[in-house]
Amino acid sequence: MSEFSKTTAFEVVRRLASMGLTSPSLYILVCDRGEMETVEADLSAEMDVQLGSDLRLLEASNLRVEQLFEATLPNGGPRVVLLTMRQWERKLVDWLDRNIVLVTDAGPFLLLAELEIAERVLSVAPNLRNRLADILSIRPDPWVRRVPV
Amino acid sequence: MNPVAADPCEISYTNLQVQKEPDQTSTAVAFDRRKVYRPFLESLNSIAPARELLARGLIIPRDHDPRDLHEPPIHEALAHSAELNRGTQMALVGGIGSGKTTEILLTQQVLDRHADAVSVCVDMADYTDLNELNPGAILATVGMRLYSWLKKKGDDAEVVTPYRLLRKLAFPQKQFVHPDSLEPDYDGEEGVWVETRGLMRPRFPDLRKEVKEVKELALAIASPLLEKDAQITFLIDGLDRLINAERFREFAEQDLRALRGTKITVIVVAPLLLLYDKSRFLQDYFDLVKHIPAAAAGPRDSAFLRRILERRHALDLMNRPELNSIVKYSGGVIRDLLTLASSAAAYAYRDDEDKIGPRHVRAAIGQLGNRYLAGLGTVHRRRLRRLAEDHEFRTEDPVSLELLVNRQVLECFDHTRESFVVHPALAKVLPKPE
Repeated sequence: MSEFSKTTAFEVVRRLASMGLTSPSLYILVCDRGEMETVEADLSAEMDVQLGSDLRLLEASNLRVEQLFEATLPNGGPRVVLLTMRQWERKLVDWLDRNIVLVTDAGPFLLLAELEIAERVLSVAPNLRNRLADILSIRPDPWVRRVPV
Repeated sequence: MNPVAADPCEISYTNLQVQKEPDQTSTAVAFDRRKVYRPFLESLNSIAPARELLARGLIIPRDHDPRDLHEPPIHEALAHSAELNRGTQMALVGGIGSGKTTEILLTQQVLDRHADAVSVCVDMADYTDLNELNPGAILATVGMRLYSWLKKKGDDAEVVTPYRLLRKLAFPQKQFVHPDSLEPDYDGEEGVWVETRGLMRPRFPDLRKEVKEVKELALAIASPLLEKDAQITFLIDGLDRLINAERFREFAEQDLRALRGTKITVIVVAPLLLLYDKSRFLQDYFDLVKHIPAAAAGPRDSAFLRRILERRHALDLMNRPELNSIVKYSGGVIRDLLTLASSAAAYAYRDDEDKIGPRHVRAAIGQLGNRYLAGLGTVHRRRLRRLAEDHEFRTEDPVSLELLVNRQVLECFDHTRESFVVHPALAKVLPKPE
């Protein structure tokens, strides 16, 4: 079981708001695999409601580093990037570790992964770990009424 | 209040995991509170660019070398050496988050007091993926940055040709070439190269052909400045993020060695791993090596860390015992100091509190400790317990070295004596053996 503080999309975005979108910050959000899509949707909605801003969603699988680099560039105003890692991506993690200053330079960067993947990231990416603002265990917002599919 | 008051975090650890139900009232109050917390959190951003912090007056320079109370601070030592011995090559090592970039910028600030100073600070990661970096790339960056400097001053006319050639060498090119124009890379005779090992092994390998080419072009660009006897210093950051120490050694042996004897001074940030390398390459190759250890040990260092938080008005939001706890559990790692204060503030903000209390600090310490604990296997945990209980730590051991590089173990200096400790935040959450 994760020992990291529990949070929700509401609280994550509230925290980003307290820092401001132009400040570089890096968070790992630990989440159960089955809840990832809901968490992504919650974060997008909170970004829209609380900050009136879009969340840039990226999928780690088959992601080229050029795409990641482009997504994190500061041009086009403040932005928050959410990278979802559903499986272990060693090459991408190594790249992130070496280039973490660039990736976080233009604003908040969120990495969403399940606990096992997050632990592997932490164990092989010391530069990334040391630049983390926090690691949070995120669950879908319990008070959001979801429309059954 | 007594600055060394009892540590409120010695009370049994309970993680803050209370999830509050949102309601309209708390949202309205939180909006006002945001104005109190936001400036504090912005000043604490542990990954904010050091240049920005310097401009905002948030950098507290040390008043001595962290390894030796009687020596001047690192940035002064590096700058004085660069001013007096042009062409000298210096290395700065330290763990992640220890303040190396800050020292580099402070050094640049000292150097720039002279009118003839040409001090160029580069983070190699801004130019290229460090793993894709080839020997000669640093040298090419030196040449191109010197060209930019000359261009800004309007003195670039004489060096446009070498600059263009340098760019051609540095960046990928695509051009149409007729097959008939391609010459074979041998002179037509059949044969193979045979290498015979001589009696004497050269201390460093020969400079590669492409490195020699880049060197000539870089020096051609630098020539107007060298002729004017300018004080040229390159401060190269980012190479410490090369986890593979061998790669760093390759750059030193090629790019930096190519600059030897040129009166261009180099200060480079090197990986901590090399400081403990048996070959002692760092100490042998560089003219001066400066090391920033974690500032964990003595009361003098604690005062330095307290000043960093006080400069950010931490005492407006917390009392002295909470501030002292943050200093203690940061282990002296400056980035962890800021992270702890920032996390504690975020917890207090989340709890709709006007001040950071002991439980917020405890939660922040637990959170940082868990971050260091995550991903550690049985062998790593055993090494940590051995260090915590028996003070046994061998830097020749690869697992131990990994713990040191990853900051789970911190290196400390007390009266020039080196010792190692488990990061205090990690020590607090490290599970006892079953």
